[in-house]
Amino acid sequence: MSMTETPDAAQMDNGPVVTAASDIQVDHAALDASIETFTQENAGYYKRAFHRIHESTSVFPNTFNVWAALAGPFWAAARGVWGMFWTFLILEIIAWVQIGRGLWGNPGASLLEQAERQRARADEFLDRAEAAKAAGQDPDRFEKLATNIGRAADRSIEQATALNADALNIMLVGLGLLAAFKLIQGLYANIAYEKQYSKWRIDATSVESGFNRRRAGIGAALVAAIAPLTIYKFTVASPLAVLNEFPEKPISHSILGVENETLFTRLASWLEAKIDAAAVAGADVFDGVTAGVRSVLDALTLALNGTPWPVVMTVIVVTAWRAAGPRVAIFTAAALAYIALLGYWEIAMETVALVGAAVLICVVIGIPLGIWFGKSKRAYNAAEPILDLMQTLPAFVYLIPIIAFFGTGNPPGILATIIFGMPPVIRLTALGMRGVPENIKEAATAFGASRGQVLRDVEIPLALPSIMAGVNQTILMCLSMVVIISLIGGGGLGKTILESLQYAAKGPGLLGGFAILFVAMVMDRIVQGAFRQDGGR
Amino acid sequence: MTEEVVKLSNVWKIFGARAEEAMSAVKSEGLTKPQVLERFGCVVGVQDASFEVPRGEIFCIMGLSGSGKSTLVRHVNRLIEPTSGRIEILGRDISAMNARELRKVRAQQIGMVFQHMALMPHRSVRDNVAYPLEIRNVPKSKRWAVSDHVLGLVDLTGYEDRLPKELSGGMQQRVGIARALASDPEILLMDEPFSALDPLIRLQLQDQFKALVAQLQKTTLFITHDLDEAIRIGHRIAIMKDGIIVQIGTAEEIVMNPADDYVREFVQGISKLKLVKAHSIMGPLDKAPGPLGDAPRADAGADLDQLIDLSAETASPVVITANGVDVGYVDKTRLLRGIQGGKQ
Repeated sequence: MSMTETPDAAQMDNGPVVTAASDIQVDHAALDASIETFTQENAGYYKRAFHRIHESTSVFPNTFNVWAALAGPFWAAARGVWGMFWTFLILEIIAWVQIGRGLWGNPGASLLEQAERQRARADEFLDRAEAAKAAGQDPDRFEKLATNIGRAADRSIEQATALNADALNIMLVGLGLLAAFKLIQGLYANIAYEKQYSKWRIDATSVESGFNRRRAGIGAALVAAIAPLTIYKFTVASPLAVLNEFPEKPISHSILGVENETLFTRLASWLEAKIDAAAVAGADVFDGVTAGVRSVLDALTLALNGTPWPVVMTVIVVTAWRAAGPRVAIFTAAALAYIALLGYWEIAMETVALVGAAVLICVVIGIPLGIWFGKSKRAYNAAEPILDLMQTLPAFVYLIPIIAFFGTGNPPGILATIIFGMPPVIRLTALGMRGVPENIKEAATAFGASRGQVLRDVEIPLALPSIMAGVNQTILMCLSMVVIISLIGGGGLGKTILESLQYAAKGPGLLGGFAILFVAMVMDRIVQGAFRQDGGR
Repeated sequence: MTEEVVKLSNVWKIFGARAEEAMSAVKSEGLTKPQVLERFGCVVGVQDASFEVPRGEIFCIMGLSGSGKSTLVRHVNRLIEPTSGRIEILGRDISAMNARELRKVRAQQIGMVFQHMALMPHRSVRDNVAYPLEIRNVPKSKRWAVSDHVLGLVDLTGYEDRLPKELSGGMQQRVGIARALASDPEILLMDEPFSALDPLIRLQLQDQFKALVAQLQKTTLFITHDLDEAIRIGHRIAIMKDGIIVQIGTAEEIVMNPADDYVREFVQGISKLKLVKAHSIMGPLDKAPGPLGDAPRADAGADLDQLIDLSAETASPVVITANGVDVGYVDKTRLLRGIQGGKQ
């Protein structure tokens, strides 16, 4: 139907009538029926209120819900407006606490108690002054003390009375707050309820509607559980001790039936026994792991500390030059000079060996795992929470079991480093593998490539930038563990920092800190430079 | 030579966890596609496809997106396993091959070109083209010689050491074609190779490709959603709809005798001038009006365009000859109806 046709012609055809927007009438009947279904009880009032909101052009429509103002959270609960229920429950409790403090709270109570104690002390000193006088000694000292303390007691009483005088003000503030909150609830209730109505129209099954006595009951129960205890705790000067502290010990005793044992001690000693048993049972395995890690570390230490220092320095600077250019090479030379001149050379190389061994093991284990997780969604889903745990668990938490199973020293330190450093290389390898375009893999398969060939020729090369980013992340994560592993006997620069920390030795600590910083920066620069060149190729 | 290079018999592909169950139900009860979806939650990708492609033919599979044409063609090199049916390559049943044999067939006898090129971005053009040979452990010297040769066939000499991303879309697709030709396969599978290119480049590549295949005598399965392209390139065309091959025939057969309304709708907009030949619109000589002694003569293989040229010069009908013998006539009525698409 074209727009140019006359309305009459259009109506004769029973086609759609073209109406100007200004002529469109609001269909109240359909709306009213819907509002009635939504509100159920007291529908007439809400119809008028919602109409007013719908017809309002200002930000705050001019409606006031007396029931919401008077009943407050009870109204919100009964109508299922839970956001409003919680907000105003808490706000009203704050107001009630103030009123309670003003009415029967005793704000000066603790000061009065203090004054009483001070009075007693003053009397005590006066007695001693008497005694001294009786014994023929000079009572001057005791008298002076007594007057001083007596003065302090007077001051405390003064403050307490001032505070008690404030009680009225506090109560008035509380009343003012309560009135304001009631007013806001009255003004806001219909707006919030209309919003809920709009949501209900979209999703009638999960958005609550109507007036519901069960919900009102739940709301009342929640109020009863929260409000009285809170108000009691805040207003009474010395409330029951059980409210201040969770009664952990009595509950433990009543469950276990033993006097000097709690749930905590029972569970802790049980765990300890289990860990000891596991450490004994798996001693061979743990020793084998330690030996493996130690052999990697020994090889690296031999390369870095066994080789004459001029050779190692030259190799590092040249590597920096080749990988990241002259500027990084100059920086590297300066950093190495700092480390060597301050006598950190050997322990710095130990740190590099520690980090290097950890990174090496992370990469050797992490990349195959990442490839597997990249290919198998199910394996990745299973591993994901473990990876999250490895990264989020504070290092101090797993240092303890590591000591239990692997003892102390450098190899357990490397294991702790691996736990923290491995997730990035696994994650980013998996991410890279999943990002390889399906059609390139399909093309390789179509030309007769086996799965191994597809992996070697297509998937790994295309995932390489992501894998390399993972390796870089792993290196940085491993470096950040250097100081922490010194807590379980790890050597290197971390140990010097830990020692400085123990003796609060500011100078050595700062110098050692800079040494770590330089090691980290040199490693990061060299690795990043190498990847950048690789990526550009 | 009319040896059949590719032969598909009753190939079905049903996607879904309960595909086998659905297949047997289809065979015993003859369920339709919506019934399969409803009862087993399985999607029928290809339904009972059978065709043969003789050596040297370009066989086009035409259909809109989702019609199952890409799925169908992936059965030929078993990138997709059929749920049921038999697929023969050069007389060998490809479903019966083990993994090693299958890889050998893929590497030596089938070349494939993809819609989105699917070149390896980290390898040079030459190494991309040589990849099918690399898989077969052909020595590097030989690989490079072959890839330089096929790159010459697609006019890309001089670009051997570039990376794919340095080339334009049309050039990249020529690299894709060169890669498919590198192992000198019997069969080419072209999965909408020119669809992602702009129209002018597409026309050029179509002509280049057609000439190349004619020269190299490759058997080709060519997938397209563009009927014009199918007509330009294909010796025969299969039209697919919802996993079913609706019609197989030459361009002329399909345009003149569409199998159903769906195909008819498709061919409506196609120009018949170069497509329809004299023999398909001519009438028998005995019904010819009046003497035809000095009427113009045309061969049975002449197209409408040529017939119009002849007919415009004279009032009498055109006589159609086959091997020098008069076999029929075309008057103006028949000519005009032919241009309309064979409406009688």
